[in-house]
Amino acid sequence: MVQQSLSCHETFLRLNDYVDRELSPAEHDAVAAHLVECAKCASVFEFEADVLADLKAKLSRIQLPPSLKERVLEAIERGAEAADA
Amino acid sequence: MRRIWLRQADDAVTLPGMTDHPSGSGVTTEGSPAQEPATLDQLLPPLLESAYRVALRLTGNPADAEDLVQEAAFLAAKGFRTFQAGTNFKAWFFRVMTNAFYSKYRRQKRQGEHVDLDDTPEAYLYQRTMDTGLYTRTKDPVQALMTTITTDQITEALNDLPEEYRVVSSMYFEEDMAYQDIAGVLEIPVGTVRSRLHRGRKLLQRRLWDVAVEAGVINQEGRD
Repeated sequence: MVQQSLSCHETFLRLNDYVDRELSPAEHDAVAAHLVECAKCASVFEFEADVLADLKAKLSRIQLPPSLKERVLEAIERGAEAADA
Repeated sequence: MRRIWLRQADDAVTLPGMTDHPSGSGVTTEGSPAQEPATLDQLLPPLLESAYRVALRLTGNPADAEDLVQEAAFLAAKGFRTFQAGTNFKAWFFRVMTNAFYSKYRRQKRQGEHVDLDDTPEAYLYQRTMDTGLYTRTKDPVQALMTTITTDQITEALNDLPEEYRVVSSMYFEEDMAYQDIAGVLEIPVGTVRSRLHRGRKLLQRRLWDVAVEAGVINQEGRD
C-alpha cells in the first residue's frame, strides 16, 4: 500500500523507477502527485527523464555490419540442419 | 531457405513483443489463426540491430560481436522447437545469445568488480549542473550538457562499465527493455537488475560528466 502523500525523500527514492516506468500504478500516481506540488523534485525528475531520453536516442543509432544478415541466415540454415541430424 | 516452423500454442495467434512495458519495444508479429506460423528467418532479421548492439556490449568489439550473433543464430535454429508462441521472442533470443557468450567466450560469469560509488550522489548529472551553476546559467541545462557529449563518447562510457553493469545497462539504455525482460534474459532476479542498473546509471553519469567537463561544458556562457 502506498501512502497518498510522499515526502521529498520518499519521492526521490523512486526517481529511477519512475523515469524507467517501473513503478506500480499506485506508486506512480503518488509520485506524480508529489511532483505537481513540489517544483524542486519536479525539476530533478524532468532533468533525469530528459537525460535518459537523450541517451537512449543517441545509443539507438548504430550501423549493422553489411554482411551480418546474410551470415545470420546461413547460420540459421546450418542450425536447422543440425537440429534435423 | 529452409523454414523452421514455430510451435504454436493452441490458442496463440500472435507473437508478442516486449511484454506490456510501456515502451512497447520488441518484436510484434501479429497474425491470425489462418496465417502460417512464424519462422526463425522471419523473426530474427528485424532484431539484428538490437542483437548486434547487445553483442557489442558483451564482447567489446565488432568482430567478436558478429561472431556471437551468428553463433546465437545457429543455436537458436538448433533449438527453435523449444520456443513457444505466446512468449517473448526477443527475450528468448537474447537469452540464447548471452548463454552462448558465457559458454563460448567466457568460461564463467565473472564475479562482479568492486566499484566504489559511496561518494557519488543520486542524480549525479543534475547535482553537478546545479553545483557548477550550469543549471541556472542556461535555459535548457540538459541540452547544454548533452550537446557536449557525442554518441561515441556515450558508447565508450558504456563500454567502460564493469561487465555486470554494462550488460544490464545496454539492454536498458540501448534496447529499452523492461526490468522483467532483462531479468528473464540474464536469468537473475528483477531486484538484481534494478540494483545493477542503478549502479550502472550512477557510473555512467559520473563518466559522462567528466566527458562534458573536458569538452568545456562548465565554461559555457548562458544561452537564451
